[in-house]
This record gives sequence, structure tokens and C-alpha cells, in this order.
Amino acid sequence: MLDFDFNPEEKVLTCFFKGRLDTVLSTQLALELESKFQSLSENADKESFLDFSLVFDVKDVSFISSSFIRLCVAGNKRVKEGSFSILNSDPFIMKTFKIAGLDGILNVK
Amino acid sequence: MEESLTERANDILEKAILAAAEFQEFNQEQTDKVVEAVYIAALNARIKLAKMAVEETGIGIWEDKVWKNVIGTQLVYESIRNEKTVGVISNDPVTGISEIAQPLGPIFAVTPVTNPTSTAIYKILICLKSRNPIIISSHRSAAHCTGEAARICYEAALSAGAPEDCVQMIPAGSREFTQTVMAHPRVALILATGGTGLVKAAYSSGNPAIGVGPGNVPVFIDESADIPFAIASIIRSKTFDNGTVCASEQSVIVEEKIARTVRDEFTRQNCYLLSPEEIQKVEKIAIVKDTLSMSPFIVGQSVQTIAEKAGISVPLGTKILLAELSGVGKDYPLSFEILAPILAFYVAKDYHSAIKLCIDLNYLGGIGHSAGIYANDEKRIMEFSQLINAGRIVVNTPTSQGAVGGTFNMLPPSLTLGCGTGGKNITTENITVKHLINIQRVCRRKMNDKFFSVDRNIYMDENCNETALRLEYHKNH
Repeated sequence: MLDFDFNPEEKVLTCFFKGRLDTVLSTQLALELESKFQSLSENADKESFLDFSLVFDVKDVSFISSSFIRLCVAGNKRVKEGSFSILNSDPFIMKTFKIAGLDGILNVK
Repeated sequence: MEESLTERANDILEKAILAAAEFQEFNQEQTDKVVEAVYIAALNARIKLAKMAVEETGIGIWEDKVWKNVIGTQLVYESIRNEKTVGVISNDPVTGISEIAQPLGPIFAVTPVTNPTSTAIYKILICLKSRNPIIISSHRSAAHCTGEAARICYEAALSAGAPEDCVQMIPAGSREFTQTVMAHPRVALILATGGTGLVKAAYSSGNPAIGVGPGNVPVFIDESADIPFAIASIIRSKTFDNGTVCASEQSVIVEEKIARTVRDEFTRQNCYLLSPEEIQKVEKIAIVKDTLSMSPFIVGQSVQTIAEKAGISVPLGTKILLAELSGVGKDYPLSFEILAPILAFYVAKDYHSAIKLCIDLNYLGGIGHSAGIYANDEKRIMEFSQLINAGRIVVNTPTSQGAVGGTFNMLPPSLTLGCGTGGKNITTENITVKHLINIQRVCRRKMNDKFFSVDRNIYMDENCNETALRLEYHKNH
């Protein structure tokens, strides 16, 4: 349900989400994500970790719950302003972020 | 000064209230006689009023203004003439419910500069059909032509026996006075058609309001569409009255795979594709940089006038200036609403990207208004329609004429288009007579046998859960 691709040279962590991201799954994914952050921050000082870009790829996602949106907001707070983005949203998912008024802040593409 | 404004407003509303009092005594026949007289007089004046409107405002094309007047008179009249608006309007013996139509009272109507005579006539017709006196506040740049339209309608109404002061005009130009009348406690409803500021003022007045503001109409051309037909239709709509209809196309979105064909077709049908440098020049004169709103100086102007103002040269006979943009928002001023023959054009890499662009444009100041799609794939038509927040999604139809209704589809013809809650409106419908009456429902005793057959005591039993209550409720006796 969640794969990672970490590119240390470009300092980009891409998270590939899959499936129906309901509340239960999103809560579980939040823990996985947190664990990933922990392991990455152990290998870098805190400041340089903040320099990373964080990308949520939702190409294979069919549904997002409000918990997943909260996860995105939390992800956005982990990195510097403008370093977070959501890629490959289908129009229905994009509309969900639009209605939530977060498409701009979360840089949904 | 304040007292004087209030006194003047009181005077107008006192007259309107007396008209309302007399009007509520009218029967359907008397009401219809007044409406017919107004329709005839206004339709006969369609050309004179159209020419006056263009001469006074300097906006649009008089021949198209004639068509707008025809829509505002003949098509509106034909759509409302057989409506029951007085007394008992329905009676259902099965439910035992009868509906009675009651007028609202004085309606304060604001008319825009872009459609100054047609909107005035349309509002007068629907107000009189619902037995409501109307007080009109015209745009300051269209006071004379709107006033003349109102005068013609009022005299015709009087000749058919309408109450005195059933149509009144307030002097244009004073925003303060307009707001004073708008907020007057005797105003029953505000019908505001115009810019964002006006609509906001209407909603802030404390009186009920139907306020219809701006749009930003995206049009998606699907690969399944008949492209030459689609382009001809878009041109027909975007050039109508030099693009002054708020439902006119603001942007065209296509997938990469058909982009070249669409570009070529636009060019073949005499549209001009602006270069990046020319786009910058047009941006400067079309959009006010600080507010990101369209410049009043280009509203309803011809392509040639706009080109001259921008300092660019376009071939004679050019119908539309096409600006190919790569983004939406403040960095791309031409992605905002412009009521002139300037059209944004977007190429997306695939279908999903194209739809996402449409959503972006839809949310850029046009939520709830209108959108268009050209497609012969029903699945895509329905998918697009569910994703776009628009009161009207017109299919294979010029959006200006399609959204207004009465010609290319069966929507009620209207010059005030509801935009739903997205546009801060209470309805997404085309505003017409039914929105201007209070419907009272006479509800005769019709017992709910299911409810009264249930043993009342089981509702008091803590051990009786929803399943048991449902089974008991639906039990056949």
C-alpha cells in the first residue's frame, strides 16, 4: 500500500500510495511514514532533513479519506515551504483537495 | 444626508408597497393581460433599445443586443405565459396538498451594463407575472437605455390595468442610495445581476437576495467531438455581442493528441493565435493588474479595438484572439474571466490532465456558473459533469446561448443564472417566475397508516431496537 523511493542526490523522498486510502489504512500508513522519516533523519542531521522534498504519488489511489488529507497536511509540515507535492492525482482526487481548499497549499498536480 | 437618502428610499418603497397591495388582488387573467402588454411593447422596441444600449454603453454589437432583447421578451414570455402564478396553482387529491401562489412584495432589481435592456425587460416580465412591483437600479453607464426599457414596459403595463408604480427606476450613479434602498426593510427580495461587489452588497443588506455574479467558463473539447463543429460553435458563442454574456467561453481545453487539429481549425475559422509577446501586450490592457479583474475598457469591444489598444496587428476579419497558456491563476492573467473576444487555450498531456485544468479554471472565480463540453462519448460527458462545479454544463452547444436557455436546450430562458452555494446563491437554476412567488401548501389530514398502526408502547421499550421498530413500521396489516 506504500512504497518509498529515496533519492539522496536530489534529496527527494517519493511515497507511492496504492488502493483505497480509508481512515484505517491511512492511520496505518501514517505510522509507516513516520518510521521512514525516523530512519532517514537518523542518517542526516535535522536541518539537512528539512531540506528534502517530499512527494506523495497517488497514481494508483482510488479513494482518499479525510485521514489521508490530514496525513498530507502533516507531511507538508515536515518539509520546508514549497517542498511538498502530490503527484498524479486523478480528477476526482484533485477535486477532493480542491473542495478541502488545500490544492494550492499541498501543491496537488 | 443620511436622512435624506432614507427619506427618498421610504418614498420609493411606500409607492411600491401600495402597488404590491393592489397587485395581490389581481387574478390570473388580469395578471396575464399586463404581462402580455409588456411583452408586446418590449418586443416591438427590441431594435430601438438595442441601438440605444450600444450607443450609450459603447459595449457589444447592436444586432446581437436585438437577439438578447428577443430572448428577454419573446422567449421569456413564451416560457412563462402559461404558468399559474395566482391563487391555487396545484391540487393533488392523492397527497391532499394544494399549493397557493402568493406574491413576495417589492423586488429590487439591479441590472448590468452588459445586458442593460434585455435584463431589465426580463426582470420586469417575471416580476409582473408573479404580481410583484419592481424597483430597478441600472448600471450608471446604462441608465438611459435601461430607463427607456423600463418606461416602455411600465406604460404598457399601466395601459393593461397594472397598479401605479408597479415599475420604478431609481437614479443611477449613487452606490450609497442603491445600498440604502437595497437594505430597506420593505424590500421583499433583491435580484442582483452584476459584479462580485454588487452581489456581496446584496447579500449583506439583510434582505433575501438572489445574487448572480461572475463566471469563468471552461470548455473541454474531447477527442470524440466533431472538431470543426465545436470550433464554429465556440466562435458563434464567444463573438456573440463581443463576448459580453457571463456564460461565454473563457477557455478551451484539449488533449495533446488533438491540439494541432484544434489550433488549425481555429485558424481556418479566422481566429488569431497570439504569440507569447502578444499575449503579454493583451494581458496589460485586458486585466487590471492589482485586482486581477477584467478591464472595463475592453468589455464587449471588438477584436480590432482590442488589438489596437494592445498595439498588435491582426488580420482583418479576425473573430477571436486565442491565447495559448501553460497555467492557471495570477501568473496567467488571461486565465481569468474576460467578457470580450479573448479566449484562453490550453493543451494537456492527457484526458485526466485536461479535466484537472478544467477544474482549476472552474475554481478560478467561476464556481457554480457554467461549463461546456464537446464530446460524443456519453461516459466522458457525465464524468466531466460530475467533476465540474457548475449550475449548467452545456453539451455540444455554444455556452452563451446554451446557458441562457430557450434556444439550444430546454432550460428556462433567463438572464440571471443561479450559481448554487459555490457562487453564494441559493439555487443553481435559471431564475424565473417560480423563484419570485411564495408557495403556500394547504395540507389536508391524510393519516400515515403505517405510523399509526404501530403499537405506541414499543417506542418506550428500551429493549426494542431499530430493527424491531423498522419491521413493526413496515408490517402489513
